[in-house]
Amino acid sequence: MELIVLNKRKDFIELYLSNVPLYIINSIRRIVISEVPSMAISTVIFTLNRSMFYDEYIAHRLGLVPLTSEPALSKYKPPEECSESEEASLFPPDCFVKLDLDASNNGEGLLTIYSKDLKSSDPEVKPVYDDIPILILGGGHKVKLEAYARLGRGREHYKWSPASAAVIKYIPEVFIDRSRCLPECRKCIEVCPRNVFKATDSGVEVSEAAIINCNLCHLCEKVCPSEAVMLKTRENEYILRIESTGSLSPKRILLESIKILEGKVSELSRKLEVQGVLK
Amino acid sequence: MIKLIFPIRCFTCGKPIGHLWEEFKSRVEKGENPGIVLDELGVKRYCCRRMFLSHVDIAYDVIKVSRKS
Ligand SMILES: [Zn+2]
Repeated sequence: MELIVLNKRKDFIELYLSNVPLYIINSIRRIVISEVPSMAISTVIFTLNRSMFYDEYIAHRLGLVPLTSEPALSKYKPPEECSESEEASLFPPDCFVKLDLDASNNGEGLLTIYSKDLKSSDPEVKPVYDDIPILILGGGHKVKLEAYARLGRGREHYKWSPASAAVIKYIPEVFIDRSRCLPECRKCIEVCPRNVFKATDSGVEVSEAAIINCNLCHLCEKVCPSEAVMLKTRENEYILRIESTGSLSPKRILLESIKILEGKVSELSRKLEVQGVLK
Repeated sequence: MIKLIFPIRCFTCGKPIGHLWEEFKSRVEKGENPGIVLDELGVKRYCCRRMFLSHVDIAYDVIKVSRKS
């Protein structure tokens, strides 16, 4: 197995993996999307809403605000325990973070309420971005609400997913049959949306720097009059890209996903042992 | 009613985009090319780009006819 970090930014990571079967990377990818927990608002209690928006509309917008959840993962109870007490309208402090919003526009103009106006009961759980517009208040409008955030998983609602994109990309390889390639033909260059081909004196060549941008559209194959171009993907070599919403760092998302996958596999083997299958 | 204010996340992929709207709006109103502004804001996928390009701020019109307090 080979692993190279191709790209790493605050909210993005790109890994090159080889000699790893696709199903291993895919199970990590799917766990990143639907199993890694993060914080999001799940219940909103309105004490006053004299704005132009429905309660449901505001609650939905609040739920989509990403909250910083790195320290919260170890501090708060797991989602399964918390959703039970939420259904009973109980909000224990070891499960829930309370975020208050109390805003009124006493003037005549318009007032925009941003995510930074949410007052959190835990300074480690707060909106990732300070200037997300949540509502607009006209003259005399007033909103007072308390929102409760808890840990959750992406399979329950996408707002709890820490990654906005988790993608596996195949690595493309383009072969040009020199004996068939027509020297004056430039059709593959014209048609390629990612500029993978470049013109040379003897015909067409694949540009090494641009090949990774290929999106496997196969247009070059279809357009070639002499069937000289062949597009293939490499076996057991993949690129894994994870784009975070900001609630967890990409590094933490990967580590958590591997921990969860390990937990699932070891639980399965433990169950098998208990049932006596492994005897 | 769904797009009264600019959405907090992209409808398709879920990328948080709400915090970028005010910068996008003010820069485009100053005459910059929307495509270049989106590139600089790091909005790459076309699902997220259409959220910006197709948005109309209806809230500012609706708020004029909403009741006062
Ligand atoms: Zn998108």
